[in-house]
Amino acid sequence: MEKKLKKWQGWLLFGGSMVVVFVLGLFVSSLLERRAEVVSVFNNRPDQFTDSIVSQNEKFARNYPREYKTWSMTEDTSFVSEFNSSQSVDVLAKRPEMCILWAGYAFAWNYNTPRGHKHCIEDLREILRTGAPGITPGKQPQPGTCWTCKGPDVPRLMREKGIGAFYAAKWSDWGPQVMNSIGCSDCHDARNMDLRPSRPALYEAWARRGMNVKNASRQEMRSLVCAQCHTEYYFSKNEKEKSYLYFPQDSGMTVEAIEAYYDKIGFYDYIHQLSRTPILKAQHPGYELYKMGIHGQRGVSCADCHMPYIAEGGVKYTDHHIMSPLAHIDRTCQTCHRQDAETLRQNVYERQRKCNEIRNRVEKELSTAHIEAKFAWDKGATESEMKPVLSLLRKSQWRWDFAVASHGASFHAPQEVIRILSHSLDCASQARLKISKILAHHGFYGDVVLPDISTKAKAQAYLGLNMAQKNADKKKFLEVIVPQWIREAKAKGRIVEL
Amino acid sequence: MNLCSKLKSIKNLFTRGQKIFLIIMAGCFVGLGCLFLYQMRMHTYLIGDDPAACINCHVMTPYYATWSHSSHFRDATCNDCHVPHQNIIKKYFFKGMDGMKHVGYFLTYSEHQAIRAEDASAEVIMDNCIRCHTQLNLEFVKTGRIDYMMAKRGEGLACWDCHRNVPHGGMNSLSSTPGAETQVPLPSSPVPEWIQRMVGHRQSAYKY
Repeated sequence: MEKKLKKWQGWLLFGGSMVVVFVLGLFVSSLLERRAEVVSVFNNRPDQFTDSIVSQNEKFARNYPREYKTWSMTEDTSFVSEFNSSQSVDVLAKRPEMCILWAGYAFAWNYNTPRGHKHCIEDLREILRTGAPGITPGKQPQPGTCWTCKGPDVPRLMREKGIGAFYAAKWSDWGPQVMNSIGCSDCHDARNMDLRPSRPALYEAWARRGMNVKNASRQEMRSLVCAQCHTEYYFSKNEKEKSYLYFPQDSGMTVEAIEAYYDKIGFYDYIHQLSRTPILKAQHPGYELYKMGIHGQRGVSCADCHMPYIAEGGVKYTDHHIMSPLAHIDRTCQTCHRQDAETLRQNVYERQRKCNEIRNRVEKELSTAHIEAKFAWDKGATESEMKPVLSLLRKSQWRWDFAVASHGASFHAPQEVIRILSHSLDCASQARLKISKILAHHGFYGDVVLPDISTKAKAQAYLGLNMAQKNADKKKFLEVIVPQWIREAKAKGRIVEL
Repeated sequence: MNLCSKLKSIKNLFTRGQKIFLIIMAGCFVGLGCLFLYQMRMHTYLIGDDPAACINCHVMTPYYATWSHSSHFRDATCNDCHVPHQNIIKKYFFKGMDGMKHVGYFLTYSEHQAIRAEDASAEVIMDNCIRCHTQLNLEFVKTGRIDYMMAKRGEGLACWDCHRNVPHGGMNSLSSTPGAETQVPLPSSPVPEWIQRMVGHRQSAYKY
């Protein structure tokens, strides 16, 4: 017969074990507080750089884990909004008229919407516009300048080789050199992480206007690091400074001021294959148009919306996952605006839809005008007859491209974009009117028969482009040449892995 | 045999050793439960209306800091505006539901950087505006003769549609008020002072 457990003994055991566990738990808390001290280790900076340019982004990961982690998230392609996304979308397939607008220029071959910064180098290698050096014989379609914005290897190269020599080189010369995608040293001084644009074109453009980038305030810097690339630029055609990169901002940043600058130096990017117009290709005047919108005018910087702050306890840091502000309205719009997220999103879409409406009209009208101009040339129109038409087409296309090329403009500056597109539409319509008079003069009164350009393939076939050859060369280039570049870069220690 | 004696007879199924083991296990279980509640500072939520309870986790600090610099700081606590006051059951039911939601957001890192009142919360807040400012809202002007849902339907305006800066000062968010953390009373360390002394920590952490 075993001893019976007395009632008080039971309660004592119960209470005793309860207290023991509780007190042990308090000691565990004390232990955890000591563990929390370890976190402060990560607030230290284990890596110190003596050089202002460090090309390998991975080297910053230990010092700036949060910034590095969010930066590497630019690899993500899951965001989609009504008009744009973080994915690569074939724009020509969606808007075949753009093949006609860019006839005679490499953009008619291939044009995709941009992915995040982390993809910039692979996307540059893969786009048909950069050609297939080493596979396709003859002159390369792009100069070394084409790498200018593609990552922190570029400021390193410019320092090693000289700015002029960097631009003047062949595109393929820098293939084994530019390996690290847009990252830390493009915008920061590696020694102290101060904001510091690294591309000379910005400093040169400001200097020509008697300004110094270094005197810009920190809030301005939060846009200027973006403005060193997301802006209108051109490659010099002057033989003495081959393919030198310029920002045409000397007489101002409006669409008219930049056009006046180009007209003054007699610049054009290409002669249109159909209408023979000397066309200005707008690059991506993102900074210019942002400055003309209400957010830019109120001093909201690019980073305020595209790189919003995150608070994690007592740590506040900048989200380096640069992307559409629509992806995180609670961190972007709502830090100033009190409306709910869906209302704000619809406010953005409404502006974008309105701009898009006019854009669609312009693309129809302008592509038709180019085709009709070709018809007029074929009917025997003279240079002097066509001169006012070409002038209008140049104006129209410059305005259209300026308004759409920067992707975000329809929200950055909706009124300005609508204004520019209206002028574009007006110029295109005027051109068509003039063409019909010229045709009448040459005895043609009917409607010009338009080719079927309902798909990208049909539009490209109409232009006589041999896309099969270009695609095959590119495929071979990606399989043969690019791996060689990467092997060379690895051997020379230009890539580091975490 | 009735249920009560049935339950009592369960005791006899175990040997003495098994009983001791089970009692200790039960003690550990309850002890851990108490520890969990203590660590999440449950006592501060249940007893009283001290606004410091609302910043047990750091997420609410911008709202505490802005409130503590506002005119409402003198007379109104968080609970005066953010929980219903019709009766004690409604009060604690709402507090419990809202509190559990907050625990969920906190543990899953899903708090928004700009925190807004949800509809249910907005209703409570507006009722409370009118509760305190009764005479002004019901007699002098008629703005208080509606509730938030009516305002949402367009039958009037919510209080804060005009009084935009009351009491948290216009727009604020976690990321736009980073200094808030230094303006608020931080929760004291869960480790009692006698343990801190015992382990040789000279001053207790977090007590300012």
